[in-house]
Amino acid sequence: MTRRPLSGRLRAWHLVAGTALLAVLAAGSLFVGVSDLTPAGLLAGRPEEVRTLVESRLPRLLAILLAGTAMSVAGLVMMHLTGNRFVSPSTAGTTESATFGVLVATLFAGGEAVIVKMVTAVAFALLGTFFFMAILRRLTFRDMILVPLAGIMFGGVVGAATTFVAYRADLLQSLGAWTAGDFSGVLRGRYELLWIAGAVTVLGYLYADRFTVAGLGRGFAVNLGVRYDRVVNTGLVLAAAITAVVVVTVGEVPFVSLIVPNLVTLALGDNLRHALPATALTGALFVLLCDIAGRIIRFPYEIPVSTVLGVVGAAAFLALLLGGGKRMGLR
Amino acid sequence: MTAPVLTEAALAATRRGQGRRLAVLALLAVAVVAGFVLIGLTGNWEYALGVRFRKIATMTVVGVAVACSSVLFQTVTGNRILTPGIMGFDQLFVLVQTLIVFLFGALALSTADPRLLFAGQVTVMVIFAGGLYRWLFGRRGRDLYVLVLAGVVFGTLFGSLSSLAARLINPNDFVVLQDSLFASFNQVDPDLLALSALLVAGMAAWTVRLTGRLDVVALGRDHALNLGVHHASVVNQALVIVAVLVSVSTALVGPITFLGLLVANLARQLTGTFRHRTVLTAAALLSVIVLAGGQLVLERLLAMNTALSVIINFVGGAYFIALLIRESRR
Amino acid sequence: MTVTHAQGSTTIPATPEKVVVFDLGVLTTLDELGVPVAGVPVAENLPDKLAKYAGDGYTKVGSLFEPDYEKVNSLEPDLIVVAGRSSAAYPELSKIAPTVDLSVDNTKFLASFRERTEALGTIFGKQTEVERRLDAIDTAAAGVKAKAGDRTGLIVLTTGGKISAHGAGGRFGVIHDTLGVKPAAEGLSTDTHGQAVSAEFIAKTDPDLLYVVDRDSAIGENGAAAKQVLDNALVNGTKAAKNGKIVYLDPFTWYLAPAALSSVDGMVKAVGDSLS
Repeated sequence: MTRRPLSGRLRAWHLVAGTALLAVLAAGSLFVGVSDLTPAGLLAGRPEEVRTLVESRLPRLLAILLAGTAMSVAGLVMMHLTGNRFVSPSTAGTTESATFGVLVATLFAGGEAVIVKMVTAVAFALLGTFFFMAILRRLTFRDMILVPLAGIMFGGVVGAATTFVAYRADLLQSLGAWTAGDFSGVLRGRYELLWIAGAVTVLGYLYADRFTVAGLGRGFAVNLGVRYDRVVNTGLVLAAAITAVVVVTVGEVPFVSLIVPNLVTLALGDNLRHALPATALTGALFVLLCDIAGRIIRFPYEIPVSTVLGVVGAAAFLALLLGGGKRMGLR
Repeated sequence: MTAPVLTEAALAATRRGQGRRLAVLALLAVAVVAGFVLIGLTGNWEYALGVRFRKIATMTVVGVAVACSSVLFQTVTGNRILTPGIMGFDQLFVLVQTLIVFLFGALALSTADPRLLFAGQVTVMVIFAGGLYRWLFGRRGRDLYVLVLAGVVFGTLFGSLSSLAARLINPNDFVVLQDSLFASFNQVDPDLLALSALLVAGMAAWTVRLTGRLDVVALGRDHALNLGVHHASVVNQALVIVAVLVSVSTALVGPITFLGLLVANLARQLTGTFRHRTVLTAAALLSVIVLAGGQLVLERLLAMNTALSVIINFVGGAYFIALLIRESRR
Repeated sequence: MTVTHAQGSTTIPATPEKVVVFDLGVLTTLDELGVPVAGVPVAENLPDKLAKYAGDGYTKVGSLFEPDYEKVNSLEPDLIVVAGRSSAAYPELSKIAPTVDLSVDNTKFLASFRERTEALGTIFGKQTEVERRLDAIDTAAAGVKAKAGDRTGLIVLTTGGKISAHGAGGRFGVIHDTLGVKPAAEGLSTDTHGQAVSAEFIAKTDPDLLYVVDRDSAIGENGAAAKQVLDNALVNGTKAAKNGKIVYLDPFTWYLAPAALSSVDGMVKAVGDSLS
């Protein structure tokens, strides 16, 4: 996967500029929404406006930042560990397995606490991901595209099972709504589980160097004294946990885990520790922009972020596939 | 690929072996069809026979379409774990159905002229496939994997659009919609069936004309060019056939994503050959056996009418995973 | 006699005796009118009053949307009734026996419902009783409308933890256009489908009455899942919440079998109760 970065090394000012941009957008996003909320009103301390801010806007912003960051980092980690830039939670059956977990928890635990759903989803996501990795390890012929396609097909199998079970239980519409990524339901008290994803993301950063080494292959990693299997397993657990937590709290956010890491490594090269902060930043920016767009386009109604991401992400991915194909070692 | 050198006699023997296997499959297909038509026939058998014959005809049309399209698709992509359904076709079908209910209500879906719906569906899907092929092939080299991946990406796009629409549909419209998303052989308009049969037969005839060159294409682009076969032209023709077949069969009964994967690989495995004439015949026969046999078991033994596509997806999916593991052990 | 219905008109014999019904709404109405049916679809989770139809005394003729044509045929019915989910089977079923499609058009629900129910009354010679029931519903509806006054209402559907708002043009529009509760949100009126909204939208609209359809009721008690979604500071600040006017609509009445005499009765009553 060694590649020459597109525009030289990451400079400190890139990150600073990115962070500044994110901060401006984040602050701006607090004032985009249905209820009246203006900076002037806030300064005047109007109680309804303060309530809107605390109950709705701030939680939503935090949820966006956490989910965007976590999903893109999960994608980056998986991409490194498999040595394949098209492998991400959405192309390895992870997302579909987490969804299946949500369904199973809903069926057996009913309207019980979200934590039950989350634990089940994490367990299923892990199972699915490890199953796929077990298959992957046995594949002697690892084609850049064959691997994600196998993952997508595997996801399709899990998805077919989920759909059928949901259909029989009259949960198809609910499940569809539950798993379609959308921040409109985020309020204070509804998103806090995402902090777990945030914590896991930080863990990912601490492990970054080991992931980089593991990404070079088993032989290489073992020579460098890295416990290959353990590192790979840790990475997969991190990615699966992040995916499951995000699916349970806000739903699937398509493409983020696939596109953002690719764009960033395209620009910055493959060193994970360098790429990781930039990926996190870009992921947050990307999701935030899409959510703001979703709030504005059909105002006062919402367009879920998954729909916006679906459109924007598909366009970006195709551009990447066609334009950047050569550079990405596709042809 | 290391092809063993075969003597004339040995070659003739394997041909005979393949012929025998095809004959067995054909017999089995006839037996299953006969079983489906005759078992448990009660009451006014004239009407019952009519219903059963129509189901068998639907299964045959869909089976041939799915078998041909999957074998061709796997040949031109040189990849045995793929099925054209993942290239966005199934998701597009779902999106079109969802949008109809979303925009016009469930009454529109259940009372509209089925011929109109069918024509609309097929047109949309063929345009999608044509657009995808033209756009991707027109610009760059002929990289099929990029095409497949782009198809998958469009599938995700369609999926996220229909998930929004599905969520906003009111619940009793939604039940009508969800019923239409599962493949069903039960109620197919006879006119549509005839039209589909005609289209599928046409495409099948085209495929038969192409089989010789497909055998060469299966060896890879360089071999094909060395042997004087216009690789690109054959691939293009095959993709057109695939697009039409997938569109017709999906619009007729709904998506059965993993059937093609199952029968195409089983056909290769059972006949032990890569000759398209044999594989295609075997795959088509297997499709009929799987569909009619599956429906027979579900309908008569388990009294479940609607689960066939689900069971096939499940069995096909499990087979796919087994296939992945087996392939990787080589 | 000739009956006009959603897919044309059908000539049927006077007072059909062996009847096959593929729709829960029609089944409910026939049950209330005391009309016996011979064949019903397999359905799960029927309410108590229809539970007897799950028993062996009634031939099972397929699922709610996919008839088992051979079974229907062997039953040799005089009349087959389809609606909603099953109406796609109309062409095939009409080859077996006279079939009517009593699908109700959601965009003009009450008028369409009256037409279809009157057709049922005519078919089974129950015109007087049907007219009486329908007139009673109309009177009750007029009473509710008079009671509604200037009060505003918002209809939301909760599914999978998310909220969508439905206007007067859609399935639940009866509340606005027939029963006179003023739409709290402008511009929701024309679409048959809902719009995705956030809790902020409900707070901003601040309706007097909040009508909630809980799509997740399949996983537990009706309203439990919806309550979880709606129990937050923003919704709790609305007039509806403060006055205890959050109304959870019964799924059977409002969307599983809305086109039944008792269901429409129930709808009018539910809205009437919310206004008192």
